[in-house]
Amino acid sequence: MSLLKKIFLIEIFQGLALTLKKLLFAKPVTIEYFDKVRPKPYPGFRGRHALVRDEKTGDTICVGCLRCVRVCPAKCIHVEFEVDKTTKKRKIVKYEIDAIRCIYCGYCEEICPVNAIVLTEWYEYVGFSREDLYFDKERLLKNWDEFIATQKRPYLNPFWKPRGVPLTMLPAKKREFTGV
Amino acid sequence: MVEFLKDILLLGLAAIILLIVSVLHVAYLTYAERKIIARMQQRLGPNRVGPRGLLQPIADMLKLLTKEIITPYGVDKPVFVIAPFISLVCAGTALSLIPVWQRFVLSNINVGILFVLALSSLSSYGVILSGWSSNSRYAFLGGLRAGAQVISYEIAMGLSLLSVVLMAGSLNLKDIVMAQMESPFKIYLIPQIIAFFVFIVSAVAECNRTPFDLPEAENELVAGYFVEYSGMRFALFYLAEYFGMLVMSALAVTCFLGGWAGPFEVPYIPFFWFLLKLYVLLFFYIWIRATLPRYRYDQLMGLGWKVLIPLALFNLFLTALIKLLV
Repeated sequence: MSLLKKIFLIEIFQGLALTLKKLLFAKPVTIEYFDKVRPKPYPGFRGRHALVRDEKTGDTICVGCLRCVRVCPAKCIHVEFEVDKTTKKRKIVKYEIDAIRCIYCGYCEEICPVNAIVLTEWYEYVGFSREDLYFDKERLLKNWDEFIATQKRPYLNPFWKPRGVPLTMLPAKKREFTGV
Repeated sequence: MVEFLKDILLLGLAAIILLIVSVLHVAYLTYAERKIIARMQQRLGPNRVGPRGLLQPIADMLKLLTKEIITPYGVDKPVFVIAPFISLVCAGTALSLIPVWQRFVLSNINVGILFVLALSSLSSYGVILSGWSSNSRYAFLGGLRAGAQVISYEIAMGLSLLSVVLMAGSLNLKDIVMAQMESPFKIYLIPQIIAFFVFIVSAVAECNRTPFDLPEAENELVAGYFVEYSGMRFALFYLAEYFGMLVMSALAVTCFLGGWAGPFEVPYIPFFWFLLKLYVLLFFYIWIRATLPRYRYDQLMGLGWKVLIPLALFNLFLTALIKLLV
């Protein structure tokens, strides 16, 4: 019996029948990249980086505490600031994020005491060169403008008020924060 | 003199038509292969360029034309350059001998089958030379494997075609089709079923297609004999492979399935039956590729020498005996 099976290539014909059946009756299981309907990511999707723009001054609300620089596991945030002689406040002169290095852990938004940095839910961003994904301050502010135009206000990113951390342990500004 | 010039002109025209049609066939054969295999594996296949991806072969060709042609360090330059052309020319020339229709044979020569076999084994020169000249271990091993494989399957193929020649009493491909029309079964598939089986298996091996694609086994040899090639030279090898498929299928149609003859005449399309049979065989190639895994090398050689060649010899003997008795 097994010899007959071998001579008439029964198993090979079974295989051929299977592939023919798939060709004729099976539907492709591939999910195509969307052309028209764009899927909406869940809140808290960690996408393109942005610096929140202060609507009064038009600049970032970062206070230059460097906590994000210290917490970043990939060391992809580079900040420089200078101290104003009269008011003793820190002014940001350089805020750069190397998005290629970033591992999208979200620690920077969790640690930021004034909710200045955010990983937006903007997920379609590619570049033709490495410089395209090296965001400086202007670029980060522009990212925020582009992102917030698509959102309902007030916008509150879940990472700004991390779950599981008691409110009393958060910095004052974060505790009272309800969104921008 | 005028007659002669007219003949030359007509022949040139026919050659150009055949060339264009066969190149288009090859281009869309790659598309059909990708699409059919994709559907068999429940994927979508190319669908981005043009409607349903129909312009994909043209896009591929443009891409390959604009790519840089790299000549790696240490290759044997003249051989390296000429090898893809040997491969392509030998694979493509055989098409001119195939009788597509009673009145459309580019060169109706009396040693047709012999010539086709000679060309198909010559095309393995391209493979071996490219492997040899590439100065790469992968290419070299691929070339060696291709050489061994083509030589051993050539014998089985030749023997299986020999029994057809015995039945038809001619090496001329057109005469073989004519003889089939006059034979009791109309096609040689039924009396020569063993030869047809041997021919199809060894044709698959001859074209280096799955499940006998040992010379280009991806997981051991990267891409086999054309690893070092890029751009248009690579495309020539690719074209040669598909031309080889086309030629082998056309040869099978001519020798076993009755060429252009069909159960009834289709008005205005004299090629209809030939093309239909050709497409069925080409689909079979693709179908096999989607179904079967690759053979191991010793299994491949064992199948060739221990099964196919004795089978073809036995069939030849049987055919000769019956021919003698009847």
